[in-house]
Amino acid sequence: MANQLLEVTDLSAAYGDVRALSGTSLSVEAGAIVALVGANGAGKSTLLRAISGQLTRTSGSITFAGIEIKKHTMKQRVELGIVQVPEGRRLFPDLTIYENLRLGATLREPRSHMRESLERVYGLFPVLRDRQNGKAGLLSGGEQQMLAIGRALMAQPRLVMIDEASLGLSPKLTRQIFELIGVLNEQGTTVLLVEQNIHMALKLCSKAYVIQNGRVIMSGSGEDLLADADVCKAYLGQRGSRIA
Amino acid sequence: MNIFLQVVINGILFGTMYGVAAIGLSVIFGTMRIIFLAQGTMIVLFAYLVYWLWRLVGLDPYLSALIVVPISFAVGIGLFYLLFKKASALEDRNVSLLLAVGLMYMVDNLLLKAFSANPRYVKTDYGSLTFHLGGINISFVRLMALVIALIAAAAVYWFLKRTLLGTSVRAASVDMEATRLLGINSYWVAAVSFAIGIALAGTAGVVMASVYSFDPNYGFTFAIKALIVLALGGIGNVWGALTAGLLLGVIESLATYYVGAGWSDAISYAVFIMVLIFLPQGLFGARTVIKKV
Amino acid sequence: MKSITAPIRSLSRKEQVSWLLAVVLVTALALLPMVVNVDVSYVGYYIFLTCLYLTIAQGWNLVGGYAGQISLGQNAFFGLGAYATAGMWVHGIGLYFFFDFAIMIVAGVIPALVAVVIGIPLLSRLRGDYFAFGTLGFSMIILVLFLKGGKLTGGAFGVRLDSSVFNGMLIYYWVSLTVAVLCTLAVYFIGRSRIGLALRAIREDEISAASHGINVLKYKVIAFAIGAAMAGVAGSIYAYYLFDVKPDDVFSMDWLFYPILIVVLGGTGSVFGPVVGAFIVSALFAYGDVYFAGYQTIIAGFLILIVMLFMPEGIYGLVLKAPRLWHRSPALADGSGGPADQA
Repeated sequence: MANQLLEVTDLSAAYGDVRALSGTSLSVEAGAIVALVGANGAGKSTLLRAISGQLTRTSGSITFAGIEIKKHTMKQRVELGIVQVPEGRRLFPDLTIYENLRLGATLREPRSHMRESLERVYGLFPVLRDRQNGKAGLLSGGEQQMLAIGRALMAQPRLVMIDEASLGLSPKLTRQIFELIGVLNEQGTTVLLVEQNIHMALKLCSKAYVIQNGRVIMSGSGEDLLADADVCKAYLGQRGSRIA
Repeated sequence: MNIFLQVVINGILFGTMYGVAAIGLSVIFGTMRIIFLAQGTMIVLFAYLVYWLWRLVGLDPYLSALIVVPISFAVGIGLFYLLFKKASALEDRNVSLLLAVGLMYMVDNLLLKAFSANPRYVKTDYGSLTFHLGGINISFVRLMALVIALIAAAAVYWFLKRTLLGTSVRAASVDMEATRLLGINSYWVAAVSFAIGIALAGTAGVVMASVYSFDPNYGFTFAIKALIVLALGGIGNVWGALTAGLLLGVIESLATYYVGAGWSDAISYAVFIMVLIFLPQGLFGARTVIKKV
Repeated sequence: MKSITAPIRSLSRKEQVSWLLAVVLVTALALLPMVVNVDVSYVGYYIFLTCLYLTIAQGWNLVGGYAGQISLGQNAFFGLGAYATAGMWVHGIGLYFFFDFAIMIVAGVIPALVAVVIGIPLLSRLRGDYFAFGTLGFSMIILVLFLKGGKLTGGAFGVRLDSSVFNGMLIYYWVSLTVAVLCTLAVYFIGRSRIGLALRAIREDEISAASHGINVLKYKVIAFAIGAAMAGVAGSIYAYYLFDVKPDDVFSMDWLFYPILIVVLGGTGSVFGPVVGAFIVSALFAYGDVYFAGYQTIIAGFLILIVMLFMPEGIYGLVLKAPRLWHRSPALADGSGGPADQA
């Protein structure tokens, strides 16, 4: 347990009277892909927001590389290397692809390595290089997701948190994106994946957490969970671990 | 025909102030999402600064621009951190709006108290210099006003398009939360946007002091005119705002000449209402001032 | 007995106390002229003025506080009411001219109708600050129209009324006090009615309110019109007081600004807030002339800044933890725990 990159311990959060998270804990090992799955409204996004700093009214602890980050500002967390690819991507549609990417590298360290980061991103997503002076709003759904991930990569992250990468994408595109995420991970970036598409997430990840009503109800390796009968029944339909 | 052209040219030259003020409003709006009501008051404030620099130190208005514009930028940063930062954190537009109202009221009355309602006017040697071009008179100072406005618009455009900070400003005015997720200091971005708006007010103030006579009561009407220009030109469009400003200047000039003094204001407000109802996206189809409810 | 005490007992403790204090205050003010000669002392004038401001303020509170739509056109409605009164008097319309209640009511109705006419296009298209600016533009148009009205409105010189009927400050004192109380009560009951509920829903989340079947535009316009009516009635009283209705005077921004100050200083979202605010503002006037004459407006502007910075919910709002005028970032209903950002 010692060299976990990210450790969330007993995190609770509420929106007014609504309890969004109750004592959730998870850990992400450096170099791993960890999936956080669950139904809509289960608390996945809340957890990400707590880690990225959008939500600060929480109890519990969050440590990154051994440092307690709950008091850190969002900027400080990005400086530490925690970058989120938000749900719905939140690109800047009127800005060009290049400009979107460039904005990923505004902090000092990433800025000095901008050329390399750019090359890396274009290497992963060649279509972005071709269209780099086009407006981001004109991209297709899959390309936008690539751009969103690429933008996060520009910040030279140690941990990339991707919220609902499959949103609005066809199964084929989703597979493509997930493959790319896998490549990303092979290159050394730790990934925390929040996903409603449970099947693909479980296939890709090394470890997964199932969250329901603000609590982690199950955890284990991706394969184990895929084979688990309860998971299959609840989330994947009776036919089990085949693609529906 | 000559008269008509003269009136139009005068209108264009007067409209430069509107245009510069409106660009400022547009930039401020982008990140703070409010129409900064006190813009006109700020213009008058800096016009007074130019005036007093001339009166006490004998500093030429165009030279004092080198001091006044940076000062106005600094004032903008200060005002943001002092007044508007908290409200922008709350994402509460009503608070920001009322802060602007309070600021306007306080400064307007301060100026009135300090300097009285007597019109002020900077007299320079070149003040009455006029060019005659094909039967049309173009005053030197008014031409300079246009030049200054063009330079200011170009500077802002360059900043927004070509610098990282400017790109951040553009991004923040679309989706501020997303910029925060990238680690960008959204307060600083908003502060810079606001300061640019105030710096443009400073620029307009230099123009005003060098060309026209003014008094504290101008501030308020000016702000409204700047908003009309913004509605005409659309948000987020630097050149659109400038053009719309010139256009409004022309409209007012024509109205004053052909209908009568005092009616030009009413006609401008009528234009405003027309735009609200019939052309909410402005003349240039940019992002609109009006949001359909 | 039960039917009288039941509604009173149904109020919260804070509301009961507030009402008690309010009744005490009003009684004290009503009886004041027996102690102080209002014809001679400035106190009478300040209270008169404050009551006018409070009348406008309660109306503004309805559209700005309860519904969350900040209107910057109250001074136009005030002036319209004043001119309507003067116009009717001069042309012999009405029952008995001086302090004619029929005229005063009409002086409230006319601005309300105007509010409906301009409110529908403005409120249906503009949200928030644009609506504010729209009302501002409208008030500027009105000012120009009246300045340029020539024979119709008396132009810059306005309308003069026969001041021979002036009989001392007392009647103005009591009329303005009565109207202020009536308007406060009106806003109170409206606030507790279905209209008030709709307005609050609109302020909190317009889209959600609309999806629940609330006709957003209708309620906004209603609130706007009522606010205009109250401003108009206040303008009417002022016309009776001054006997000389001039555009620069009755359309002055002071008639807009001081009521707004009263509401934000005291607290939006309830009728007691403006009462508290009115109290403070009248003290500002009273001491103003003595200690810092000519600086009242500057101080008023400064006060708005201070209130907005440090207690946007107003003084009474702090007491009551009243529902705020201001929206919070939607994701965080508990009002805190927002994004962590540095300075």
